[in-house]
Amino acid sequence: MMGSGDIITPIVMGFLLGGLYALIALGLSMVFGVMKLINLAHGDFVILGSYGAYALTSFLGMDPIVSLVVCIPVMFALGFGVQKYLMGRAFGISVEAPLIIAFGIALVIQNTNQILWTPLSRGITTSYSLKSFQIGDLQFPLAYLLDFLAGIIVMVALREFLARTYLGKAITAASQDKRAAQLMGINTNRIHGYAFAIAMVSAAVAGVFLGMTFPFTPTSGISFLAIAFGTVIIGGLGSMVGTFIGGIILGMVQTLGGYFFGPATQMLILYLIVLVILTIRPQGLFGR
Amino acid sequence: MRFKIPRLRIGFIPVMVTLILLALFPFIGVPRSWLLYVFLFSIYLAMANMWNLLAGYSGLTSLCQPAFLGLAGYTMTIGTWVGVPWWVGLIGGGVVAALFAILISIPVFRLSGIYFAIGTLVVPEALRIVFYLWKPVGGAMHGAGAGYMIKGTADVSMGQIYLLALLMGIGSIFLMRFLLRSNLGLGLAAIRDNERAAGSCGVNVFKLKLVTFIIAAVITGWAGAVFYLYQGYIEPSATFNVKWTMTLLLATVIGGMRTEEGPILGTMVVVFLYFLLARYAGYSFLIQGIILVGIMLLSPQGIVGVLRRNRSYRSLVQFIDTR
Repeated sequence: MMGSGDIITPIVMGFLLGGLYALIALGLSMVFGVMKLINLAHGDFVILGSYGAYALTSFLGMDPIVSLVVCIPVMFALGFGVQKYLMGRAFGISVEAPLIIAFGIALVIQNTNQILWTPLSRGITTSYSLKSFQIGDLQFPLAYLLDFLAGIIVMVALREFLARTYLGKAITAASQDKRAAQLMGINTNRIHGYAFAIAMVSAAVAGVFLGMTFPFTPTSGISFLAIAFGTVIIGGLGSMVGTFIGGIILGMVQTLGGYFFGPATQMLILYLIVLVILTIRPQGLFGR
Repeated sequence: MRFKIPRLRIGFIPVMVTLILLALFPFIGVPRSWLLYVFLFSIYLAMANMWNLLAGYSGLTSLCQPAFLGLAGYTMTIGTWVGVPWWVGLIGGGVVAALFAILISIPVFRLSGIYFAIGTLVVPEALRIVFYLWKPVGGAMHGAGAGYMIKGTADVSMGQIYLLALLMGIGSIFLMRFLLRSNLGLGLAAIRDNERAAGSCGVNVFKLKLVTFIIAAVITGWAGAVFYLYQGYIEPSATFNVKWTMTLLLATVIGGMRTEEGPILGTMVVVFLYFLLARYAGYSFLIQGIILVGIMLLSPQGIVGVLRRNRSYRSLVQFIDTR
């Protein structure tokens, strides 16, 4: 996967990869912003999206990006249901209940994927996912460029949605002050459901592009949860631009780590960076 | 106080009889499968008790328990490769786990609640990669990754391993009783009720949490090392695996978090499930995940929460309780 010799290649690839990581982190950041919950199962929802797209592409011959037409509504409904019937109830129980329930959901998704798709590593392949594009003399995989574009498109769309629609404004209001929002006549329970559902939609989109970029297994969810968490930590919670920059930093850490220490260590370096950032700046590089 | 003493003795008798009976199991020729049940029960119980101590009593929802048990297991295993007796390696494994707990407390103790959980979740993942890449001893004997057989334990019988496990399991129950009634336990209770108020009353919040974390690391490490002593080999992917965390969480949550008897009952259920679901290997963790979510939603206090509403259970506990 790594280009050899030239250091420009990993830098550009890491930069482009940042779009994908920001995309993965968006859903996590959104659920945290609105519900003050870090969804431990987020990585597994992303992988669920990857498997959904994988199924539609390999069995129905759909284009993976077109398959989102099916995946998005399914994930939206799933997200709404999970929030309404599982997560929403967990908050009233105890502090650690949402965490334990999310952990349980993560394992259910992992093992369902394992039963349906076996533990083998899968990837979404299309006519264009293996193509490359050129900048100067250097070749880059097209999938990385698509990751970056998808990241920007989803981010802008989400931003516009939150700023311009009634539902978006209601979500923002509920995240800023739940009680005040309730007093203004906003049904915060339903808003939480929508917020979780939208986070799952972003997970579905992230899953498709992840599947085109990397091979994935049923247990990949944890590494992408760590990436999303790291991205959010670096960028500071709630800041979209920060999330994007966080994604780019982590993307570069991964590709440069692979470049200098070999591809096998790139995830390890990523984990270490997350732990180091937690040590020196737990509020995030851009956090207040 | 005087009339409490006879009740203490009578209540203690069934407990002691059970313990002695369990300890005699290897010598009275019970089926090997029974030994295995009690062995697994004891190992899981020691670990579940420690997770309960962390998550239930100290507010540290640690998801890095596999790191402790794996490091201790590796310390013992690698020790046997360089000529250290297994029991020295086992004890040393607890020390390594404790040192590692201190090391990772630097980043993760800055986090609280769910941040702490995710910070700790990353740790076993990182260790797994380390042990995939790093081959401490043995050269190029078995290809890549640190998968090892434990050497020089041929003279250790199943009975001895069983007794060691039983010691860990039962010991952890008494350790919990002792800890929760000590100053440490009182401090933890104060922190749990109101961390800020406890801090301003002179409770050293950071120190208490760190001490709890280290104790849990040592006991989890020892229990893990005993498990690998039984298993006879160790390799990274099953060792630093989230499934360990799942088992400990399930045992604690089914029984009842933040209760002393919870992990005991929960571990029985988990061991029962383990053997019941062994035939459906692929579905086992799926079903366990569903049970975990279900229990948490329907009865957050687990079995103990349901039982405590029952009067005869309360009097039974009072009968056994030696306080």
